[in-house]
Amino acid sequence: MKRIFIDPAKCDGCKNCTLACMASHQDMTPRKGTLAEIRQAMYALDLTDPNTQSRNRIITDGQGGYKPIFCRHCDIPDCAGACMSGALEKNMETGLVEYHSDKCAACYMCVMNCRYGVPAISPDRKRMIKCDFCAHLEEGPACVRACPKKAIEVREV
Amino acid sequence: MERFVIIGAGAAGITAAQTLRAFRPNDVVTVISIDDKIHSRCMLHKFLGHERTAEGINFVGADFFEKNDIYHIPCQTVTKIDTAGKLVYYGDGYNTPYDKLLIATGSGFFIPPIPHFREAPNVFGFRDLSDALKIDDAFAKGKRVFIVGSGLVGLDAASALCQRGAEITIAEMAPRVMPLQTDDYAASVYQKVFEDHGCRFLLGIGAADAVVDGGGNITEVILSTGEHVPCDFIIMAAGVRPRIQIALDSGIAAERAITVDDHLRTSAPDVYAAGDCTGLSGVWPDAMAQGKAAAENMAGIDTVYEKPYPFKNTSNFFGVTMLSVGRMDLTEGADVIVHKTPKEYKKAVITNGKLTGYLSLGDISNHGLYLHLIKNGIDVSEKKDQIFRLTFADFYGINEKNGEFVYTV
Amino acid sequence: MNTCTDCLNRNTCASADKPMEGYIRSLPLETAHHRVATQETKCGFGLQGVCCRLCANGPCRITPSAPRGICGASADTIVARNFLRAVAAGSGCYIHVVENTARQLKNTGLHKDKIRSEKALNHLADLLGVTGTDKYDLCVKVADAVLADLYRPEYEGMELVEKLAYAPRVKKWKELGIMPGGAKGEVFNNIVKSSTNLSSDPVEMLVSCLRLGISTGLYGLQLTNLLNDVVLGDPVIRPAPVGMNVINPDYINILITGHQHSLFTYIQDRLLDGDVVAKAKAAGAKGFKLVGCTCVGQDLQLRGEHYTEIFDGHAGNNYISEAVLSCGAIDAVLSEFNCTLPGIETICDELKIKQICLDVVAKKANAEYIPFHYETRQADGDRIIDAVIDAYKARRGNVPMNLFPDHGNKNTLTGVSEGSLRAFLGGSWKPLIDLIVAGKIKGLAGVVGCSSVAYGHDTLTAELAKELIAKDILVLTAGCSSGGLENIGLMTPEAAELAGPNLKAVCKELGIPPVLNFGPCLAIGRLEIVATEIAGELGVDLPQLPLVLSAAQWLEEQALADGAFALALGLPLHLGVPPFITGSKLVTKILTEDMVGLTGGKVIVDPDGKSAANQLEAIIEEKRKALNI
Repeated sequence: MKRIFIDPAKCDGCKNCTLACMASHQDMTPRKGTLAEIRQAMYALDLTDPNTQSRNRIITDGQGGYKPIFCRHCDIPDCAGACMSGALEKNMETGLVEYHSDKCAACYMCVMNCRYGVPAISPDRKRMIKCDFCAHLEEGPACVRACPKKAIEVREV
Repeated sequence: MERFVIIGAGAAGITAAQTLRAFRPNDVVTVISIDDKIHSRCMLHKFLGHERTAEGINFVGADFFEKNDIYHIPCQTVTKIDTAGKLVYYGDGYNTPYDKLLIATGSGFFIPPIPHFREAPNVFGFRDLSDALKIDDAFAKGKRVFIVGSGLVGLDAASALCQRGAEITIAEMAPRVMPLQTDDYAASVYQKVFEDHGCRFLLGIGAADAVVDGGGNITEVILSTGEHVPCDFIIMAAGVRPRIQIALDSGIAAERAITVDDHLRTSAPDVYAAGDCTGLSGVWPDAMAQGKAAAENMAGIDTVYEKPYPFKNTSNFFGVTMLSVGRMDLTEGADVIVHKTPKEYKKAVITNGKLTGYLSLGDISNHGLYLHLIKNGIDVSEKKDQIFRLTFADFYGINEKNGEFVYTV
Repeated sequence: MNTCTDCLNRNTCASADKPMEGYIRSLPLETAHHRVATQETKCGFGLQGVCCRLCANGPCRITPSAPRGICGASADTIVARNFLRAVAAGSGCYIHVVENTARQLKNTGLHKDKIRSEKALNHLADLLGVTGTDKYDLCVKVADAVLADLYRPEYEGMELVEKLAYAPRVKKWKELGIMPGGAKGEVFNNIVKSSTNLSSDPVEMLVSCLRLGISTGLYGLQLTNLLNDVVLGDPVIRPAPVGMNVINPDYINILITGHQHSLFTYIQDRLLDGDVVAKAKAAGAKGFKLVGCTCVGQDLQLRGEHYTEIFDGHAGNNYISEAVLSCGAIDAVLSEFNCTLPGIETICDELKIKQICLDVVAKKANAEYIPFHYETRQADGDRIIDAVIDAYKARRGNVPMNLFPDHGNKNTLTGVSEGSLRAFLGGSWKPLIDLIVAGKIKGLAGVVGCSSVAYGHDTLTAELAKELIAKDILVLTAGCSSGGLENIGLMTPEAAELAGPNLKAVCKELGIPPVLNFGPCLAIGRLEIVATEIAGELGVDLPQLPLVLSAAQWLEEQALADGAFALALGLPLHLGVPPFITGSKLVTKILTEDMVGLTGGKVIVDPDGKSAANQLEAIIEEKRKALNI
């Protein structure tokens, strides 16, 4: 399976990954598109709309460094292990923890159970929000391509 | 070839079936269940609220049994287990042999000894799809609903029915709603949102008696205050009890719940138990974890099940979201820190430098680490002043080999 | 041989000029085209204009969970403030140019130096209502009138505005309260306004942009051209070579970059003097040549008729200056303004090219600064010439030649201006108007402004221009867009084949290309004079004309100030990328929608040439309909 590896020492806190993620998931519906189109979408990205939510977070460590928090698509996912609707599922083939919003009951057991605090809740309180590895993009996760420091990269594990 | 039998198709039973199938692709896995449809108990309110069909609250997919080549015996109640002969009896005398058996019967609703309540045909629980179907039928005849208990189950039922125009009265013995999960302020927020949707709460008040009609149906609930509340039917949500009858009838050790060791083994050889019937925890994620652990042991993979941390819940009623972990009620000698804005309410209980309770009302995004901190007794005495802003970044660590996160404390 | 074309493709950005793209890709030196890849990731907050660095609390960045900066500034305030700062800076650049140009004219008068066009002088004097005792005195008086306006305080209106601008526009501007005060004062005032914890009013700041636009357009653009015409000579329509083929290695070649052509007047004449040529010959060269690059090259090309001996032609726009220098045959760079890319420095060092800078605002780190003073220009000029000859001697034979003699073409139509074009049409705009009315020419599109590379070198400009001419829309260019389009042959008569059937017929009949080159970005002012004169002849206001503008590949702050002028004139303005405003819904809405109700203008953002052309065509059709043509 693939995982986004993080090198926090390289992170400059520019949040390009955060914006790339927002743009890639604009309107909270997956967009088909090339990264060039995603870059264009950056202009249209509504940075004042709470629905424009990033799946990753860059947190300052208070000592000049940054701690990128990205979904690990854990080998044993806390979130899917708590899901009572079957909306969250570990895909054994791809290794990704997939989310099916149509099944989701918005109980937020996943939010409570993820020890790394990755899952977020949607503003309408009807869905959860987590990384989908930009399954709609052939090029792979938009965040990774957007990182100017190569602090995040996709590797096989 | 081994024969695995599972009694129950809830979170524990289904997870166990899945796990067994994964580890034992060629062995026989059988699931016996009361209901014919697999459903998520936690989503019953979606069914009752007519937001979803029975299929829509199936948490594994309609083709689960076929896809996983699991033999399903639906609509059957297990009557006895012959632990010596390794046979499970169900229905009208049918039986099926097992090599390893899992009891995952869950828990059932509890009716307190109030006159008429235990006998009346219009008193329902809200635990299984069959309960929801009965309520649905009753609701077609009358929309005045009396709910006993304002815990998560009671409020689930209330939220479902008030969206369908029910006239709902909820009696709660405690002085506030959701007494186990909330504090007074959080309870008041939920009370208000339910009241805004037409529910009436009777707090600190219990049902004491009832008026019944000729068929034994309760037509009026008589409160502890003496007030009469007319109703068409009653939903009991005043607590649950592990379903242990089958254990008791089969000579398997059980007191309040079925006794299990740290491998989830019961007193009978090759008989395991998982989920609510073990009394270890009453929340979904723990039932799944127990189902998985028990199944691993049944499959011969030595798995120690660590005691779960049962004090944890989230709720989402009418878009008001709350996370409540740990013991909000144990505040003696503790520091209680509160953060309150018009949109948010957060409360932390810190005892001897460790977080022992955390409640957050509002945007609970990214709050998962608080459960971890409480469960693992992680010291936060240095982080008290930022207790509401803690993130995994404060405990950041990476497993260089596989890229997963690890806690650094 | 196994060639990995994909790797090569990734190495440099695409260019509309394919041979140039290949040339740059094969260069052993790094250029902007190579750095596009390493700067591929753009900061999203920057793109949207919602990064604020105005105080030490910053940088603050707007997100859904952080809708205000620490000071409380909203996205609207931050965007408007950043935008106003950019427009003010851009205005400052053009005002600097017109100030130096006017001083040059004044000095020419004071020193009774060569005046190349008395016609232009008289025209300008008439326009401004200035009289003088003789032509030299007239130069002084005209220059003084311009300078007096530039130096006026912000709270005093500039006097020449009403003389320079179209009357219906002046009326509109007065209605909107956007008549500009002293041009330098406007820049100053708006820099103050957009500083820390001062204005937070996005609407007022956008109104200020219009005011800056007017002072920029009328003075920085229009007047600079008219002042230069006096000293440098009127443009004359003629075919000329363009591209890297203009470089003749037998000469000592000086690449000129900048916008202040008149600062070169002295030296470009001096280079032809016998004693200087003799020095060149002694060094082994045939003489001196100027090679054009950036806008000052365009300006020289525009007036090339007067400089056939010293000027070989225009090599290309700002973003091929690095490539031009890489050819090895350029011995010195003489610069006085932008766009003198910092990227040329490493190339100049590597190839031992002497860099000399005449104006401190364009001081390159490794350039020798020889400030232009009118009084000492002879001595300074000789110093410069000697330094260039030294460079020639030191480098020739020691640096590799990498000429590109096939690049460009030999018959680009140049020298188009409001005057030369009117003369070409027989002294009146009527023939052009008739063609428009008859639908032979559907409308006019000014494809102006800069060249940029981040999303492809001139790719959008070229695509748009081709789309427009295919729709029978006559394209007029000014700025580095001209440099890009001429090198790919769109200004040769043969390009008529690319035009729609009606425009093609017109071009063939008149022997003109479908894209007419007005020269430097300053000449956007000339386009606007053309528009104003046509509107005058039709008796309509500017927003009614079937005329659109596109700064498809706008690059810098000056372009934004130009753009603000276009909006003040009431013209639709297409941009390929948004000017860092999309983070504010309010600012975006005002510029792209509400502006129509104010001045008649609006910004259209479209990164795609085809759809942008469709949008612009639709506007032209709409305006034709309203005019009943």
